[in-house]
Amino acid sequence: AETLRASHQWPGGTGDMRDEMVQIIAKEMEKSDTGVTVRVYPGESLVKAKEQWGALTGGQIDISAFPLAYAAGRHPEFNATLMPALVKSHEHAKRLNDSEFMQDIKDIMNEAGVMVLADTWLAGGFVGKEGCIVEPADVKGKSTRAAGSSFEEMLAEAGASIASMPSSEIYTAMQTGVLDAANTSSESFVSYRIYEQVECLTPPGDTALWFMYEPIVMSKESFESLSPEAQEAIKAAGDKAEEYAAQAAKDADENMVKVFKENDVEIATMTPEQFQAWRDIAAKSSYKNFAESVPNGQELIDKALSVD
Amino acid sequence: MSAFIKGVSAVSRVTGMAAAAMILVATLVVCHMVFVRYVLNQSTIWQTELAAYLLIAAVFVGSPYVLMTRGHVYVDLLPLWSKPRTRMVLAVVSFVVSFLFCVLIAWKSWIFWHEAWVKDWTTDTVWGPRLWAVYLSMPVGLTLLSLQLIAEMLAVLTGREPPFGIEDHESLKIGLAEEDVVGK
Amino acid sequence: MSELTLGLIVLVVTIGLLMVGVPVAFALGGVAVGFLVVFEGFGMLDFVAESLFGYLNSFGLLAIPMFILMGAAVASSRAGGDLYEALDRWLYRVPGGLVISNLGACAIFSALSGSSPATCAAIGKMGIPEMRKRGYPASLATGSIAAGGTLGILIPPSVTMILYGIATESSIGRLFLAGLGPGLMLVLLFIAWSLFDAWRQGYKLTGADRVFTWKEKFTALPKVLPFLAIVIAVLFVLYGGVATPSEAAGVGALLCLLMAIIIYRMWKGVELWEVLRATMRESVMILLIIGTAELFAYMLSLLFITQSLAAWIADLEVNRWVLMACINVFLLIAGFFIPPAGVILMAMPVLLPIIVSAGFDSIWFAAVLTINMEIGLITPPVGLNLYVINGIAPDVNLGTILRGSIPYVGCMVLGIVLLCFFPEIATFLPDLVFGEQI
Ligand code: NA
Ligand code: NA
Repeated sequence: AETLRASHQWPGGTGDMRDEMVQIIAKEMEKSDTGVTVRVYPGESLVKAKEQWGALTGGQIDISAFPLAYAAGRHPEFNATLMPALVKSHEHAKRLNDSEFMQDIKDIMNEAGVMVLADTWLAGGFVGKEGCIVEPADVKGKSTRAAGSSFEEMLAEAGASIASMPSSEIYTAMQTGVLDAANTSSESFVSYRIYEQVECLTPPGDTALWFMYEPIVMSKESFESLSPEAQEAIKAAGDKAEEYAAQAAKDADENMVKVFKENDVEIATMTPEQFQAWRDIAAKSSYKNFAESVPNGQELIDKALSVD
Repeated sequence: MSAFIKGVSAVSRVTGMAAAAMILVATLVVCHMVFVRYVLNQSTIWQTELAAYLLIAAVFVGSPYVLMTRGHVYVDLLPLWSKPRTRMVLAVVSFVVSFLFCVLIAWKSWIFWHEAWVKDWTTDTVWGPRLWAVYLSMPVGLTLLSLQLIAEMLAVLTGREPPFGIEDHESLKIGLAEEDVVGK
Repeated sequence: MSELTLGLIVLVVTIGLLMVGVPVAFALGGVAVGFLVVFEGFGMLDFVAESLFGYLNSFGLLAIPMFILMGAAVASSRAGGDLYEALDRWLYRVPGGLVISNLGACAIFSALSGSSPATCAAIGKMGIPEMRKRGYPASLATGSIAAGGTLGILIPPSVTMILYGIATESSIGRLFLAGLGPGLMLVLLFIAWSLFDAWRQGYKLTGADRVFTWKEKFTALPKVLPFLAIVIAVLFVLYGGVATPSEAAGVGALLCLLMAIIIYRMWKGVELWEVLRATMRESVMILLIIGTAELFAYMLSLLFITQSLAAWIADLEVNRWVLMACINVFLLIAGFFIPPAGVILMAMPVLLPIIVSAGFDSIWFAAVLTINMEIGLITPPVGLNLYVINGIAPDVNLGTILRGSIPYVGCMVLGIVLLCFFPEIATFLPDLVFGEQI
């Protein structure tokens, strides 16, 4: 019997969708009779969030639910998977998965020895302590926390002052007035009870600014060491996890809106024009920086933007 | 041999001073960030990262000095209670274990540093400094730490220093190096 | 071989190496690397350098050297003595005023210092000679300061609490506040015991050899004002929520350094170097242990020892208070031998899931754990405070210091029992300031 190690950074057994995805793969493998078991190490209990890429390519772990942009220090192209206003909605994300853009990204992953078991995109929104954040002018002069360096660049261009901190600190920072606005994933907004601190939420709808690619990835070497039956089984398990995640990611957004509404938080919507205004700001800042600092950067952005 | 011990100790002393300076600079960087963020209400881009890297560098390059001045805590119960010959054996075992660990990590960190250099890794932040520069303190510090361990072991084996710094007549009186009283 | 057997072997090897006298950092790292190589092969080590760097790469860890620097700067100046003297001038007429001044000064100093030996040294330098001059027995004079000094890691700021916060991903601000109530409780218990002991042995508790005038009382105050101002500023920054612990610590450290330079005229290079050197030595020692202890925890987790042990204990289905008592005995014994940083970072990854699943509050447990660590500071063989006192009062032998300290161990055990009956002592303040824990 062979044991695969699966690592991720989210709490285990509390219903977090990324943990659920990994658990689905573990359960499917258990059922598969291939003799391969998957042992899950949740909540950074084995490897720290940002070190998982190194552990995966170095052979210390076999599987991970991994926000790809965390490895952008090694493969700057990965920053494209956490680029503001590049992905508009869950449907758009699904179309992107089969695009040339994502093919290029996956080629780079493959070259590093990593393959994708399940594609997943997570959405997120904005919260404002006083007033809604829907257009660039809304963040001017505000102390803002953004998830991801490309977002920081865009918000800085829009005139916000950037305060970097992990999402776990948003609550206290809001409470004490260090932060006026923040952006992170729908799951984090709910699990850190940010609704207690804010007046307005801009959820991802048909026009979402924040999407992050968080696939289930596997070391190619580990995959190739499996028997053909086990390879089939784990691919099938990955598909199952992907199917679950597609629905769960949308549910997470809806759940966030529901919870924030229950707590009397105003819900704002971003119009397509406002979305375009953000994209223009992003083009001047994050896209431009990306194109300048990454070989083929412009090409990647263009390929992504060409997907309707 | 004496020259080797003295030379390594001299280098350790210099890097120890550098480490102390790094902690001071890290403090100033943190204060600068507080000023920019809370007083000027402007973005802070590089301060948290730089301060954290300075601290890491201080840990690795300061370690040889801390070893030299017996600052890495250890349980001295058995060494104190044992006879001189046994104490020498304990000292050798302690050196061998420490040395194996340090030299192994030093070697692995040179490989890691080299990879970061060749592949031109950066951190995944807006500031995005080159990682080889950030990592450099680790292999350098750990290599010097390994050398310092050899120097200490040689000093003990050649009778220049008593094992664990315990003189024979001291074995029953539990003493404390002067350094351990902070701010004495 | 089962994971539990493997865990037992790891435990025996680790204790063995620690007893031989291998520095804690290298013993933990050595065991981690050794077991990884034996059970997983050399390939496992490719990741070690990146991990070690990753463990230390955290802005939160900066609070540790900054709070140590804060304490070291103040301890090297005359501020501790001034604080003690001001308290004494005001309290000399109160029965047992001298003991109260000493323990009170320890408690106040603890609010500036994240470490216990620094607290001990700063107050003991003045307090111990004074108490002995006024006829208190050497055992009481040294024991009370050794015990009072341990408050350095309970009353915020505290290096131990920062480590706990890092090991368990809890809010440092919350943990700091959780130490305040128990800290004050211990001060009261310490004072009560000291007064009782002095009375029991027939020492007169009043009657200083001189009388302080109101003028003398008031002239002592300005000297401690900058000191108190910094304490209040740091507390405000921390709990007013203006900044994170590392930021508050950084500003506090700079202010204390400036205070030492400007008010206490420590502008000679040699004096500053001494402060920085002491800070660097203690910080590097603790941080290297943090790095290797995380490596140790990684090994335990990879070999599934942590998880199996937690599952095994959960299956035992013992009464949760029996479990808590066992954990306390374990911590107490571990604390005898291993410094707080090592205990917390090694034990918490294993203990936390057990504690939480048994329904205990992890913030409350931080206070219990810290008191256990305080006990370790005044018990042999690694009772750091005993050695510090021995350095300050070289003519008092270690046995006397130890004899004087033992009753305070009793006070701390009583404190833990009280905390079990009234968890609010620890949880009231953090819940008040931050709201109930999420
Ligand atoms: Na303290
Ligand atoms: Na002890």
